[in-house]
Amino acid sequence: MLHRLSSALWFCAPFIVLLVLWAVFIPYFDVNPRLFPHLSSVVQAGIEGIQDGTLIQHIKASLLRVAVGTVLALIIAVPLGVAMGVSPIVSSFLTPLFRFFSVLAGIAWIPIATLWFGYGFGAITFVIFNAVFFIVTYNTLLGVSTIPLHVRNAAASLGAGRWAMLTEVLLPGALPNIVTGIRTGLGFAWRGLIAAEMIATNVGLGYMLFVARDFYRTEVIVLGMIVIGVLWLLLDRLVLAPIERATIERWGMVQRA
Amino acid sequence: MKNLTIRNLSKTYFDPYAGTNVTAVHDVSLNVGQGEFVCIVGPSGCGKTTILNMIAGFIPHTGGEILVGGRPVKGPGPDRGVVFQSFALFPWRTVLENVAFGPKMRGVRKAEREKIAHEYLALAKLTEAAGRYPAELSGGMQQRVGVVRALANEPDVLLMDEPFASVDAQTRMTLQEELTRIWQEKRPTVIFITHDVAEAVFLANRVIALSKGRVLEEIDVDLPRPRSWDSLNDDARFKELSGRVRQLVRSA
Repeated sequence: MLHRLSSALWFCAPFIVLLVLWAVFIPYFDVNPRLFPHLSSVVQAGIEGIQDGTLIQHIKASLLRVAVGTVLALIIAVPLGVAMGVSPIVSSFLTPLFRFFSVLAGIAWIPIATLWFGYGFGAITFVIFNAVFFIVTYNTLLGVSTIPLHVRNAAASLGAGRWAMLTEVLLPGALPNIVTGIRTGLGFAWRGLIAAEMIATNVGLGYMLFVARDFYRTEVIVLGMIVIGVLWLLLDRLVLAPIERATIERWGMVQRA
Repeated sequence: MKNLTIRNLSKTYFDPYAGTNVTAVHDVSLNVGQGEFVCIVGPSGCGKTTILNMIAGFIPHTGGEILVGGRPVKGPGPDRGVVFQSFALFPWRTVLENVAFGPKMRGVRKAEREKIAHEYLALAKLTEAAGRYPAELSGGMQQRVGVVRALANEPDVLLMDEPFASVDAQTRMTLQEELTRIWQEKRPTVIFITHDVAEAVFLANRVIALSKGRVLEEIDVDLPRPRSWDSLNDDARFKELSGRVRQLVRSA
């Protein structure tokens, strides 16, 4: 417990230093608030945003898109990845394709997504979906194909049929890769989300930032950047990392970092 | 437990490097009676693991037949339990769940299969480890789990592929003694593959010496049971039998 507390403090230390420097130097050099805001006005903007509900509204919109896009992607990606991983021929045939789409930036889908879905929820969720879908499918496929043959043979000789092989061996065996895929995929999705929201909607954190620029409200821009970063850290530390600890680290399938 | 019959078994495969067909197993015939402990011993590349993989149904044979309880082998099945050199435990399952896996596949209810698993874990003195994950155990303990996982499914034949080759020498001797004790208690039909002559003679009722894919000779081991290394290390009969097998395997 003490160890976790101290590591959390150590994690926060550079940010605290940065905040202090910000609070001291921006007023000291009398920086134009149209170029960079004072810390106090950012805090003020945050309080106002919470009080009038606009900040919460933007956060909700962004998180909903991420949640829907990610869940849809996982529902399709994991079974597809397993099915592909079972057959060496199918997997080697499709691997280049999935690698290509994995590295293709999510934001590159925006023009075509807006043509298909129009501006708003559909197009942005589609971008999220793509960012998660290709990486998770590729990682699942990789995970299934790296399960040692002995382990599959062991299950077969203990009487596992096709369905049991899938649920008892292939899925849990691929889980380390699936979790890695989700973490990287969500990272890309989050970045893609902000970019997409600047272009294709009228609500969400990316939109909030982009509109603030038109009014020279640098305090809203910086507030948005902070919220985007903090939300991602919370998501990663409080949701994704604990899943990893509870499963694959416990099973000794990855080295403890 | 049922008997195992192998008739004129052979395995030929195409070697892409040599560009020719290679015969790994030549015309091997073998009868293993119910409750018998047979060791197949030979140097690396003699075809012993290929034979075991064919019996397990992991790879197809190209000639002859394999019958378990009179029925031909087609692919892997729960009538033939396998213990692997690499343990092949399920890392995502606790020790208890690993051992209960076979009964689970047979549709045995949770309470019942956990009772079975606990029974077998006690047999290998693993009761304490039931709730732990394989990665938390030493190699020797992992292989104890591997052995009882196969046994808990009550196979007709237990196939063991150099199961103790990757644990340290002291642990190996303990595991060998434990295996003979468990075998005496449960009397499974066992085919045990090894390159270690002393191990083969220590464990078996009968040793099959194999070389270049052919059976050289079968040697009956008439040493009394229970067997322990303390009593057999200086035993004249043990030394004589080991010497004979060693000579066979080396001269071939």
